[in-house]
Amino acid sequence: MSRAAARWALPAVCAVLAILVVAALAVGDLWLSPARIWAGLWRQDELAATILWHIRVPRLCVAMLVGAALGASGLIMQAYFRNSLASPGLLGVSSGGAAGAVVAIAAGWATVSFLLMPVAAIVGSFAATIAVILLARRGASTERLLLAGIALNALLGAVTSYVLTSSVLTYERNAQILFWLLGGLEDRTWEHVAMAAPIVLLAGVLWPLGRPMDLLSLGSQEAQSLGVDVVRLRRVLLGLATVLTALATSVAGTVGFVGLVVPHLLRLMFGPEHRRLVPLSLVGGAAFVLACDLIARSGGGLRLGIVTSLVGGPFFLWLLRRQV
Amino acid sequence: MSTAPHILEIRAATVPDRLHDLSLQLPRGSLVGLVGPNGSGKSTLLQVAAGLLPAPGAVRWDGRAIDSIPMVERGRMTTWVPQEARFEFGFSVRSVVAQGRFAHGDDDHGVDEALGRLDLGGLATRPVNQLSGGERQRVLLARALATQAPLQLWDEPLAPLDVRHALDVLVLARELTRSRGATVVISLHDLRVAHCLDALVVLRGGRLRAAGRPGDVLTPELLLDVFGVKARTAPGLVLELP
Repeated sequence: MSRAAARWALPAVCAVLAILVVAALAVGDLWLSPARIWAGLWRQDELAATILWHIRVPRLCVAMLVGAALGASGLIMQAYFRNSLASPGLLGVSSGGAAGAVVAIAAGWATVSFLLMPVAAIVGSFAATIAVILLARRGASTERLLLAGIALNALLGAVTSYVLTSSVLTYERNAQILFWLLGGLEDRTWEHVAMAAPIVLLAGVLWPLGRPMDLLSLGSQEAQSLGVDVVRLRRVLLGLATVLTALATSVAGTVGFVGLVVPHLLRLMFGPEHRRLVPLSLVGGAAFVLACDLIARSGGGLRLGIVTSLVGGPFFLWLLRRQV
Repeated sequence: MSTAPHILEIRAATVPDRLHDLSLQLPRGSLVGLVGPNGSGKSTLLQVAAGLLPAPGAVRWDGRAIDSIPMVERGRMTTWVPQEARFEFGFSVRSVVAQGRFAHGDDDHGVDEALGRLDLGGLATRPVNQLSGGERQRVLLARALATQAPLQLWDEPLAPLDVRHALDVLVLARELTRSRGATVVISLHDLRVAHCLDALVVLRGGRLRAAGRPGDVLTPELLLDVFGVKARTAPGLVLELP
């Protein structure tokens, strides 16, 4: 890829994100013109202000944070496992977060403090991550990783199913869990934005790690021999990927395929250098989730998780075919 | 410039089931061959020497225990080239070679020179995952060259190369020892190149069997004992660079 194209990659993706942001604020039951959005944001238009500040802006913030987190998490896992098919969804890390969060909802912790749900999701995700690491210790071939992911997804799905079918739960709470599990951004509040806010901080930690990730993605021993502190880097990356996934899952449920599609598409378009891919995945992930959410909102009754799976599933099959 | 007598010193290194109580000292500016049957511990020894396998207190570079050397500085002192080059992502050849400058703050110094030296000038923009095995090996050697590390550890660099490039790599190793005072350690199977080397280290079953000048080490008795072959000198095909 030419240097000029490389320089324009990030501004181009940012521009796409900006257009989607305006669209996300404009589209809905009540269509808002850009002028009215402006007036609403400054509280000069009462109705627009209510719609924006209570419904659309929190939803927009959560969508962008979730997308950035899942995009970055997928990128990290692909570099870590040196496998471009690795992603939080396929490896079961998302399911781990979901299982943790479901337990938190069912036990009623989620009503005690809104912070307990992300904490439970983080614990669940770490359990899944550690299991994947143990299973992939002897080499992270595509087959091994995918099989480990199938096993973990089934196992953690069983945990979720058990919680759902246990008689302790009321019908309403069950419905709440099911609705949440499908992944969606309906009724997101500023509380959810606060829950997902640490994602910004984690993105800041990830930002300067692009260059050592380049070296790591071509072999950990090689990277160490070239001067990378591999033990420390791997620990930081794994922690970041896990917490990012868990936070995204705890505010939006299971949103599949973002971590697979976004880094992969960006790599195809702009090359494999992580210094460039880290910011691109953060911004591109936000744009992808925002676009999928717009489709979901205008599709009537579709939810975010359904749309990302409808886009991501065929994409994943196409990737598998290309790899063979 | 340090005044320690040895660029590499290994004291009683042991890796369970692979290396037993192995000690070795290599002087500055020498081209050293590492030979032994399959599974004799050549790759393990190179990894221990490169500080990639834990062997607490056993390895010293330039007189310093490597555990006390910060990681980035380690990257400037020593480099290691793996036996097999596997690339999952399509980095360009040039960007992989430029990774050799990571420990120098990615200054790009000497990258184009390394590309030219390994005959990769025409491949600089090609993705590494679309290269042949021999070409990939040359990319890794170019990256090692770009580090300008005074201790170069290359694991079977000649195996995937055609005869012309193999000779070229041997000449390169020799240049590094002469012009930069580097020490280059090469593990190899082809004993016919032994005569180009300054020293030979022979391993068997994870133990040091012999070390010294190639002519003194490669006796018919040792070849029979270590490799189970009878040696005889006969007229044959000689290949050299023009």
